Amino acid sequence: MELLFNHAGDFGQGVLVTLGLVVYGVLGSIVLGTVLAALKTSPIRVARAMSSTYILIFRNVPLPVQMVLFVFGLPQLDIQFSLYASAAIALVLYTAPFVAETIRSGLNTVDRGELEAGRALGFAPMMSLRLLVLPQAMATVVRPLGNVYITMVKNTSVAALVGVAELTFLTDKLAVDEASPFLIFAGAAICYLVLGLAVGRLVAALDRKVAFSR
Amino acid sequence: MNNHSLFDPAGPRTRRRHIIFEIVTGAALAALAVLVLATLAKKGVFGAAAWAPFAQPGLWKLLGQGLLNNIAAAAVGMVLSLAVGCLLAFGLVSTRTFLRRLSRVYTDVFSSIPLLLLLYFTSLVLPNYGLKLGDFWFLVIALTLYSGAVIGDLIRSGIAALPPGQSEAALALGFSQVGTMVRVLLPQALRSMSPALVSQLIILFKGTALAYVLGGYMELLRSATVIGQYFTQSLLQAQFVAAIGFLIVNILLGALADMLERRQRRLETQAPSTTGSDIPVLQAA
Repeated sequence: MELLFNHAGDFGQGVLVTLGLVVYGVLGSIVLGTVLAALKTSPIRVARAMSSTYILIFRNVPLPVQMVLFVFGLPQLDIQFSLYASAAIALVLYTAPFVAETIRSGLNTVDRGELEAGRALGFAPMMSLRLLVLPQAMATVVRPLGNVYITMVKNTSVAALVGVAELTFLTDKLAVDEASPFLIFAGAAICYLVLGLAVGRLVAALDRKVAFSR
Repeated sequence: MNNHSLFDPAGPRTRRRHIIFEIVTGAALAALAVLVLATLAKKGVFGAAAWAPFAQPGLWKLLGQGLLNNIAAAAVGMVLSLAVGCLLAFGLVSTRTFLRRLSRVYTDVFSSIPLLLLLYFTSLVLPNYGLKLGDFWFLVIALTLYSGAVIGDLIRSGIAALPPGQSEAALALGFSQVGTMVRVLLPQALRSMSPALVSQLIILFKGTALAYVLGGYMELLRSATVIGQYFTQSLLQAQFVAAIGFLIVNILLGALADMLERRQRRLETQAPSTTGSDIPVLQAA
């Protein structure tokens, strides 16, 4: 126990970096995911094909591969970002397809009849999108999107692969130095559990807030 | 999955507008592609020097062996985590409170710890306890610890979705508790969960690339890196080939999952009274 308290500072540092990755990951992948979902539901074939191709490639190439390619491969083309930025970008690129698919499935849950009713009442297409489709789609999507992000919290650990000093990376370094690595790992596991629980709680609260009588 | 449910069918004028949009976006995309390819070509990405090492069959053998190593680790990990998952599922639906709580704690804890942390854990801590295993087994054990927990919960929800009459009938026919589970409930749960299990296999397969950090296990990503160390100008090309290897295997597995899911849906519509409809489909992330 004392060991864990001695390293509380290190763990705190790691958690902060991990949290930073989570925040950038959520913001970036929401934006990119929404764009991809919009493209995928658009009536324009080229846009649909573009979005499908992106989703197919970036969700099927493992995150470690994307991360390593981004950090060690792209500098060969003189494309170079800081480690932290590269990790955040790779995380966004990998998570966005999952977000896009979730949002799209939310859009599909809206009943066709409601659109027909909207048209009968004289709603313009954009109006029915804004007033009928999006509010319902967003409400149904909160929980599954939360699951995507709980997975993403775990995926931030892959940044350790390229040397970003986040929680998993620091844990490994401490465990190599210390005599009792078991405790160090237990401490890190608790940190991840708390992070996951916190995100879960946040999602549940948001879900209650947007829930309406269905 | 009708993409067009959000729109009314387009009239002639809208259709014409869509065609114009299509041409414009297509042209913009083509221009972008040409620009990117031209830039890449200027950096010598397609140059003979960068691709020359790929003329050697030994290099392809290294990459192929890497991919096979990934597949082997994922396969062994999947078999082991199915075994662990079945045992956990027994615990999760057990009537003994202690056993149930214990299994619940295990699944909740291990499904929320990152795989990479577990991999560091197995490779650093297990040798301290006299388990001098190879990197392959460190990877497989880490995969099993994580995936076993996820699969245990999957099978549990598969069992929970079965109508209670199944276990009642089996017990009434004189099956023991274990017999009911092994011969009646488990086969049905495994079948109804087969798409989600394949999705989990995809996650496992992606996870095997993490063995890159161990360095002692020549999986595909590590092979590509090693090639990059010998032929410095070919690193990007080797990584690209590795990415395509992963991509192909995952797309095939994804197609298998889709096929199983379609078959499952067909079976359910044929016999509408059997399983519940609230089977969660695992998000493959």
